[in-house]
Amino acid sequence: MPAAPPAPGASSTEAVIEAPEVRLIGIGKRFPGVIANHDVEVTIRPATVHALIGENGAGKSTLMKILYGVQKPDDGTIEVGGTERSFRTPTDAIGVGIGMVFQHFMLADNLTALENAVLGAEKLHGIGDKARAEFESISERYGFGLRPDVLVEKLGVADRQRLEILKVLFRGAKVLILDEPTAVLVPQEVDALFANLRDLRAHGHSILFISHKLDEVLAIADDITVMRRGTTVGSAVPGEVTKQELAEMMVGSELPSPETSESTVTDVVQLSLSGVTLTDDAGRDLLSDISFDIHRGEILGIAGVEGNGQAELVETVMGMRRLTSGRILLGEEDVTDWDTRRLRESGVGYIPEDRHRHGLLLDSPLWENRILGHQTRPPSVKGPWINRSGARKDTRRIVDEYDVRTPGIDTVARALSGGNQQKLIIGREMSGDPVLLIASHPTRGVDVGAQAAIWSHIKRARHDGLAVLLISADLDELIGLSDRIEVILRGRMVGTFDPAGVTPKDLGAAMTGGGEA
Amino acid sequence: MSTTQVDKSAPSERARKIGGMYRTYWLVMLVAVVALSLVRIATGADDITAANTLRAAILSACPILLAGMGGLWSERAGIVNIGLEGQMLLGTWGAAYFTYNYGPWVGLLGAAAMGALGGLLHGLATITFGVDHIVSGVAINIIGLGATTFLAEAFFSDYQYGGPRQLTGLDGLPFVTVPGLSDGLKSLNDQGWFVISDLAGLLAALTTKVSVVTILIAVIVVLTAWILWHTSFGLRLRSCGENPAAAESLGVNVYRYKYVAVLVSGGLAGLGGAFLALVAASGFTTNQSNGRGYIGLAAMIFGNWNPFGTLGASLLFGYTDALRLRSPSAVHALLLVVAIGLLAYAAWRFYQGARTSAIVLGLIGAAFLVWFLTTDTVPREFTGMTPYVVTLLVLALASQRLRPPAADGQVYRKGSAG
Ligand SMILES: Nc1ncnc2c1ncn2[C@@H]1O[C@H](COP(=O)(O)OP(=O)(O)OP(=O)(O)O)[C@@H](O)[C@H]1O
Ligand SMILES: [Mg+2]
Repeated sequence: MPAAPPAPGASSTEAVIEAPEVRLIGIGKRFPGVIANHDVEVTIRPATVHALIGENGAGKSTLMKILYGVQKPDDGTIEVGGTERSFRTPTDAIGVGIGMVFQHFMLADNLTALENAVLGAEKLHGIGDKARAEFESISERYGFGLRPDVLVEKLGVADRQRLEILKVLFRGAKVLILDEPTAVLVPQEVDALFANLRDLRAHGHSILFISHKLDEVLAIADDITVMRRGTTVGSAVPGEVTKQELAEMMVGSELPSPETSESTVTDVVQLSLSGVTLTDDAGRDLLSDISFDIHRGEILGIAGVEGNGQAELVETVMGMRRLTSGRILLGEEDVTDWDTRRLRESGVGYIPEDRHRHGLLLDSPLWENRILGHQTRPPSVKGPWINRSGARKDTRRIVDEYDVRTPGIDTVARALSGGNQQKLIIGREMSGDPVLLIASHPTRGVDVGAQAAIWSHIKRARHDGLAVLLISADLDELIGLSDRIEVILRGRMVGTFDPAGVTPKDLGAAMTGGGEA
Repeated sequence: MSTTQVDKSAPSERARKIGGMYRTYWLVMLVAVVALSLVRIATGADDITAANTLRAAILSACPILLAGMGGLWSERAGIVNIGLEGQMLLGTWGAAYFTYNYGPWVGLLGAAAMGALGGLLHGLATITFGVDHIVSGVAINIIGLGATTFLAEAFFSDYQYGGPRQLTGLDGLPFVTVPGLSDGLKSLNDQGWFVISDLAGLLAALTTKVSVVTILIAVIVVLTAWILWHTSFGLRLRSCGENPAAAESLGVNVYRYKYVAVLVSGGLAGLGGAFLALVAASGFTTNQSNGRGYIGLAAMIFGNWNPFGTLGASLLFGYTDALRLRSPSAVHALLLVVAIGLLAYAAWRFYQGARTSAIVLGLIGAAFLVWFLTTDTVPREFTGMTPYVVTLLVLALASQRLRPPAADGQVYRKGSAG
């Protein structure tokens, strides 16, 4: 059961024996219009996995950035290994053995994976063959399958995530901060990661782990701290709480489950792909001979380990890549050669896999971000002009309907917490009554409460005839939302499943080519 | 757990890429030599591969190359330095002043220091105060011109051989000739044999009266490539130009690397100024760089922010520049080269399946061919433009593949990580 936050200095019996690895005492941080953190108290015991959970905008990432020296706290003190520290830059934090995986990727696109990994840690293994060998050995040990010399711009979200994790492992930090590292990983990858986190823990490392997936939290954590509205509101011990109780502590409501209501599938085909093939410059097939139909009122889920052609499939349908052969129909129309704008004008919504790269202008206010992708349609425009008041009004609607936590619509997108950025994108893409929604990891990084709300938004739209192409690493989401699931492996569709009769385990096996469909 | 196959041949993938790059480089060189040779024989314009022309081409390319290297250093760290022109001017003055007083070697150092001073100014404005890079660069160009004019008047008026706008009679720097080789190659060059004489001309240009500064520049190009791509210092510097927030989150002191980059950048531009004052000419005049800083920047872009690409681009510019100065009639023959180049490229694009661009290129190529066939000379007004037109043309053709550093020209504020 939830207990009161441990009073500084007087925690449980183990903590008396072992001095805490990290203590955050009375941390406070204010941004214009928001109190991101106040009176935060967290104690991390050595050689433990400490989970930090809380609703979107609760202040988790801010707290971690403070611990990593990226942001300076307004109040409070940080103790590492019993000594009080004040970090001016990440360099100081790295110096005392802290490493961090940020919620949003911190990678240089035009450098190779290896270069990104060794950057800042050249002293450990140099930048040559020794570093390459270390990179490959970590990649192998964790089953990441990353190639050192590939440019990061060529990597999809999951590979980027794996690379981010590899980066901290490469550094061998004593305290690891992992801010939502599993959001786009499939269960097998999460298991592999957890096995290694346990291994690291056994070797004396402490890990701070942030996730909205409560199953994961219960599976890996030794201690759990819950944050709400900028402060720590409680702590829990995994063996003694259930998912439901955790969810209640986080958002004060019950845990939703993605149960489908009765089928709304019609016989009208909304999107039809036939024989879609895409080859890269070297002539290798990225997608081979993909054919499927999505009807109005139907959700087609695509299951697969990231990097098996999902991104290419989405970009092909969205007109961002030219297919090598095959045909795409939207309703009755042949849209094979259409460009992205024309597709969007005819009612295709798009939730990109990487919200920072493709979804938002981080330094523009929310209402300008609302216009993005709708720059030719009302209410964003009136004739040839931008309709400022229309766009602002509609942004306010999205903020209300999708519960985007923000001081206002003139706030820049960067100032929103990750989950709230995601909610804004979903709200935008669901507006204007789309006929087809292409959704890559739609609930990536949103809390359990908001996830349920998004699911019901999608279901309502499906009831009204929306067709959805859903790509997700969250198998529960796939099974709960989809009317049909196709498995993609190395650019081919290798099996169809009925979500009513499939378990995550079956899907997992099919995704890695282990199971027969 | 991932199904992505680990490519066991990963290192060789890299080796292959690099190997491919060098192969392309040599192939382009070879094609160019053959084309030039054919055109020379077809038109009788012997000047286009004469050893003297090529030597002049190298002389003309050097300052541009230095400016280009300067641009490369700063842009790789994310700072657009169009102040190169002004920094070059500061370099010309520094070269003159320090050579007059302390001899040419100190002159080189002085030029680099003056250029670096311009770089420091640009760094202060863009890095510390977050001024827009273009605005600051333009300001530096204006300051550079004004300051050198003022300083020249203040210092050089009283010097021997000096005046308010120039300073001549400066000690030069030594030239190197490889004895034996040089003469033999030159006479081979005069034979007019297909390809062999043209190659001999090239080698003769590289072995006859080569300035030590030119050799120094060659070393700088190689060093730049090595430092930026093979040392951890270079990796950190480049990371600041690609994603400074990520670099900072990994403990890289972004400001420091940006400052180093912009100082080196200014220093190289200043050295370019020294080349103009001490090697290409034998003295200082005001506004001596005459736009070469900008051309250097263009060469760097066309060289795809890569030292050897910049080298190639600078040589191309230097070559056309030398040709128009030495032999306006050879510029006419150049039309044929351009036509052949365009048509070949059009064919290549067509083969790749890019129909429209192939047709457009083909038409432009055909136009050049017609121009060549229906005229005997290129009007004098046009010859002056040749280097710029050729650079523009190549830039336009190459621009589809160019890839600037991702955070180039963006103002970065410390503490923006996360
Ligand atoms: N740079 C910033 N400028 C202004 N406000 C900010 C900034 N960064 C965060 N905030 C605000 O601070 C609050 C906490 O944000 P934070 O990113 O820490 O949330 P979080 O718990 O990580 O949420 P999520 O689960 O969505 O990632 C939010 O209200 C956010 O809008
Ligand atoms: Mg967060």
